[in-house]
Amino acid sequence: MRIYVIAVFLFLYIPIGIIVLFSFNAGRHASELRGLSIQWYEKALSNPFVSDALVTSLIIALSVAVLSSILGTTAALALQRLKGPLRTFFDGMIYVSVMVPGIVIGIATLVALVTVFDFLNPLLASVWPEGIKPPKLSMGYASVIAAHTLFTMSLVIILVRARIAGMDRALIEASMDLYATPWRTFYQVTLPQIFPAILAGFLLSFTFSFDDFIISFFVAGPNTTLPIYIFSSIRRGITPEVNAIGTMVLAASLILLMSAQYMLNRRSKR
Amino acid sequence: MRDQSKSGNWLTAVLLTPTFLWFLFMLILPLVVILVFSFGERATAGGYAGGFTLEHYANLSTRLKAFQNTMTIAPLGTLLCLLVAYPLAYFLALRIGPKFKLILLVLVIVPFWTSLLVRTYAWIFILGGRGIPTLLEFIGFEDVRLINTQGAVLVGIIYGYLPLMVFPIFVSLEKLDKKLLEASSDLGASPLKTFWQVTLPLSMPGIATGCMLVFILLMGEFLIPAFLGGGKVYFIGNALVDLFLQSRNWPFGAAISVTLVAIMLITVTFYMRMFNSKTGRDESLM
Repeated sequence: MRIYVIAVFLFLYIPIGIIVLFSFNAGRHASELRGLSIQWYEKALSNPFVSDALVTSLIIALSVAVLSSILGTTAALALQRLKGPLRTFFDGMIYVSVMVPGIVIGIATLVALVTVFDFLNPLLASVWPEGIKPPKLSMGYASVIAAHTLFTMSLVIILVRARIAGMDRALIEASMDLYATPWRTFYQVTLPQIFPAILAGFLLSFTFSFDDFIISFFVAGPNTTLPIYIFSSIRRGITPEVNAIGTMVLAASLILLMSAQYMLNRRSKR
Repeated sequence: MRDQSKSGNWLTAVLLTPTFLWFLFMLILPLVVILVFSFGERATAGGYAGGFTLEHYANLSTRLKAFQNTMTIAPLGTLLCLLVAYPLAYFLALRIGPKFKLILLVLVIVPFWTSLLVRTYAWIFILGGRGIPTLLEFIGFEDVRLINTQGAVLVGIIYGYLPLMVFPIFVSLEKLDKKLLEASSDLGASPLKTFWQVTLPLSMPGIATGCMLVFILLMGEFLIPAFLGGGKVYFIGNALVDLFLQSRNWPFGAAISVTLVAIMLITVTFYMRMFNSKTGRDESLM
């Protein structure tokens, strides 16, 4: 039994270990290890395509994380007051947005937005005042952020809602009995209690968006995110540079995950 | 009092409006558009032209291979995941002290939340020309091809989705009343019989959740067959990407997407009915 468990853990971690090891390769070929060096990290970080992709990914992931924690938290709070068919509608939507495969979300969003934009752009141009260049709607940052937020917002709702369910209602009642305004009750009683769940949701949303390939692939327009860059470089052949980028991506998600885990643990200890 | 509940209703409405708009424009609208397009004509330059035809659904059979692969490899991959995950979950839940339990559990889950792209491409490396095949050459097996086979895709699937299977099973085994196991062995049941008649039935909800999560994700899988199947073993997702980006046949792609979602909804609903009637529900998502 013990041997089996060790074997499974090796299976889980050896591939990751190999990428990390080969990213420090001093040789020029991806598959031959010739001493260790950090040259590929230097090369990757000085490659303008990589740094552009990294910045794009960071902007998108950060916006997604901020948006989904705000929208998800407010929605989770409001949903507990909602009953009847509207509640069923929202619950159904949350379920569907988590269930539908990313590839279908990506394709459907691309097709829908391009169609809507094709319809709106001439309309905008016709009503726009003479002399000023009319805005042209197209796929880009906004479409990726919106598409990612659909999934991550639902994720935050699920996390925060679970936390609200486990919350001590007596505290809120006590606060009300002591004549605190609803706003003050929220700020001083509810928010501190659900905060770890919000923060965990924030970090998971960031990680999801930062790692997502398939949705971005369809709706990112001309932008290249880091996973899209890695995907297209792999298509051209694996280089130690790709390994270095991959290692950095893994490290980034690991750090975020550890923070999320820490937050959720603090939650359960309280 | 009435005023308060009225202002409360306003607040609820204001708080939910953005979320509602998001669901409307980013979920309902795209899904409706895809459904409408799937009955439309293909424009000459690609894209979409209006109309009503069932031609694209009739043409689904030209992509039969993708459907067949998905419908066989996804359930098979789910089953293999379950077989690998169960002993691990069992060990973590019942055979180890609380001190290591949390650490090992985190170690299982962490890979799931790191880039699937990077983790999958590690296997191109391992299974590809200079990986395991080179090692096999040393011991005398020449010309072994591992990558771009169904086996490679299955390994990638197990590797990618193992954590997602372990977690729900772990949760259901952890919740299980240990006294039942003692009672069973006190009454003279062999360990194997205890497992078959007590442990396994009681962990069914976890198995059901795990299998469903993995199966859902596998149905829409793109990356693993793209990297490890190399154009030979491809899923519906790969066929979709080709159609949308290379031949720009939107209506046909839409018909495939609609069919994919329909198959998923039917399987999942059927599956949940079957398990709910047998075991009761388990909400241990994530």
